[in-house]
Amino acid sequence: MDELLQALVEGLLIGSTYGLVALGMGLVYGVSGVVNFAHGDFILLGMYVCLALYSAFALDPYVSLIVTLPVMTLVGALVYRFLIRPIADQHLLMVVQLTLGLALVIQNGVLMLFGGQPQRTPSIVEAKLFVVGDVVLRGPQVIAAVISFALAGVLFVILRSTDIGRSIRAVHQNARAAALMGIDVGQVQTITFAMGIGIVAVAAALLSPGASIQPSDGLRYTVTTLLVIVLGGMTDFAGIMLGGLIIGCAEALGTVYLSETLGTLLPYAIFVLIMLFRPRGLSWGTG
Amino acid sequence: MLEIHDLIAGYGGVPVLRGVSLRIAKGEIVGLLGANNAGKTTLINALSGLVVPMSGQILLDGKDVTALSAKARVRRGIIQVPEGRLVFPEMSVRENLLLGGINATARPRRATEMEYVLNLFPRLRERFSQRAGTLSGGEQQMLAIARGLMAGAKLLMLDEPSLGLSPRFVQYIFEIIERLHGAGLTILLVEQNLQLTLRYAGRCYVLERGHIVIEGAADAVRSDPRTRSAYLGL
Repeated sequence: MDELLQALVEGLLIGSTYGLVALGMGLVYGVSGVVNFAHGDFILLGMYVCLALYSAFALDPYVSLIVTLPVMTLVGALVYRFLIRPIADQHLLMVVQLTLGLALVIQNGVLMLFGGQPQRTPSIVEAKLFVVGDVVLRGPQVIAAVISFALAGVLFVILRSTDIGRSIRAVHQNARAAALMGIDVGQVQTITFAMGIGIVAVAAALLSPGASIQPSDGLRYTVTTLLVIVLGGMTDFAGIMLGGLIIGCAEALGTVYLSETLGTLLPYAIFVLIMLFRPRGLSWGTG
Repeated sequence: MLEIHDLIAGYGGVPVLRGVSLRIAKGEIVGLLGANNAGKTTLINALSGLVVPMSGQILLDGKDVTALSAKARVRRGIIQVPEGRLVFPEMSVRENLLLGGINATARPRRATEMEYVLNLFPRLRERFSQRAGTLSGGEQQMLAIARGLMAGAKLLMLDEPSLGLSPRFVQYIFEIIERLHGAGLTILLVEQNLQLTLRYAGRCYVLERGHIVIEGAADAVRSDPRTRSAYLGL
């Protein structure tokens, strides 16, 4: 029983970060129809930059955000503006190809620079434990959940009540009408993609402390994120956050109750089950 | 106020407009008539900057705006109220109006403009927090026009405002158009509804397969036998 509770809570904590990352991916999909297959590799890239900054300057992953957040946001803007946008009007598969190519470039670039053996970035909060009843939580997990929920909240407020947020929703709901309002659709798409990668930079810092990473991990994050947004109904805010929590729990339960390898399959099994009964995913709304 | 010279424009290298010239004076209501596929929507999309002309010139107050982006044209007050209304369905009436006034020229005056359009369309005030997708067709048309006014329109281009509306709403919308004209707004009215357009517009152009075939005062256009044939696409 304690084991179950422990797994569920851990799953919810990590799931909030999955949800946050998927929100970024869902926003990009919503305004430009682009599914970024390098999304998880950008997480990995962020984590390796944290590692590099720790090795060079002994920076804590959370402190590294001062560097990684602006730099990766800028990289996101450049990638969209100069790589994706020029081919965005072409066949959908072209963009898929491009982002897959990007994933391989990141993966192999990281492999070249850091080698293939698993590595970890330590943090001062790593050893901090929170004990609630019979559940013991590691500091980084709690921090990740708090920041993820807070950021999701900030994102929600931005989308609802700022001009840039309304522009993003306008482009999502009707790009032609948005253009007639004088909204620069291409610019909104670039900003949204940059935001998505900025969120990834935050997620990388949240997932870094004490986690073992290797260059091939990116794909796993991409697939997890894809599971979450499909489960959440692609563009439904609450659905995606909920999807993140469900996938997080499935992963945690799988790791506790099944063997390591079999456990990683549980999220997919649950995903398939939910999609069988709710093909539209978890979203209730229409947009 | 607006002049178009020899405009050739279309999609994918195929011209839809084949040398259109047209002028609209300040404070006028100009009707643009024609059958389906005559090029009416292409023309106003070219004016909005959504269709890039292959050749020709568009002048606004004597300045060449042919190369300007859609965004820059909205800032200069060339505003399109599109066919099918295209309101943002998942957003409230309020948010739709705010988006109407999002361009840099209109943004500072958003609050005052909002009051103005809500007084013009009291129904929108009643529906203020409602999702636009749940409004009736007539209400959506009001919202689309109000949203266009929020943008600080100098030239308001209405594409088929009567399409799909009940006769009562059509009447209402045209009364509003008349009021806006009375307040000094310049209007380009693109319509299938021949009778209504001839009644409200001062001057009309008739487009047929990408060419202007008739132009002149509404009365002259009404009595011109070619109007019927162009209109019916015969």
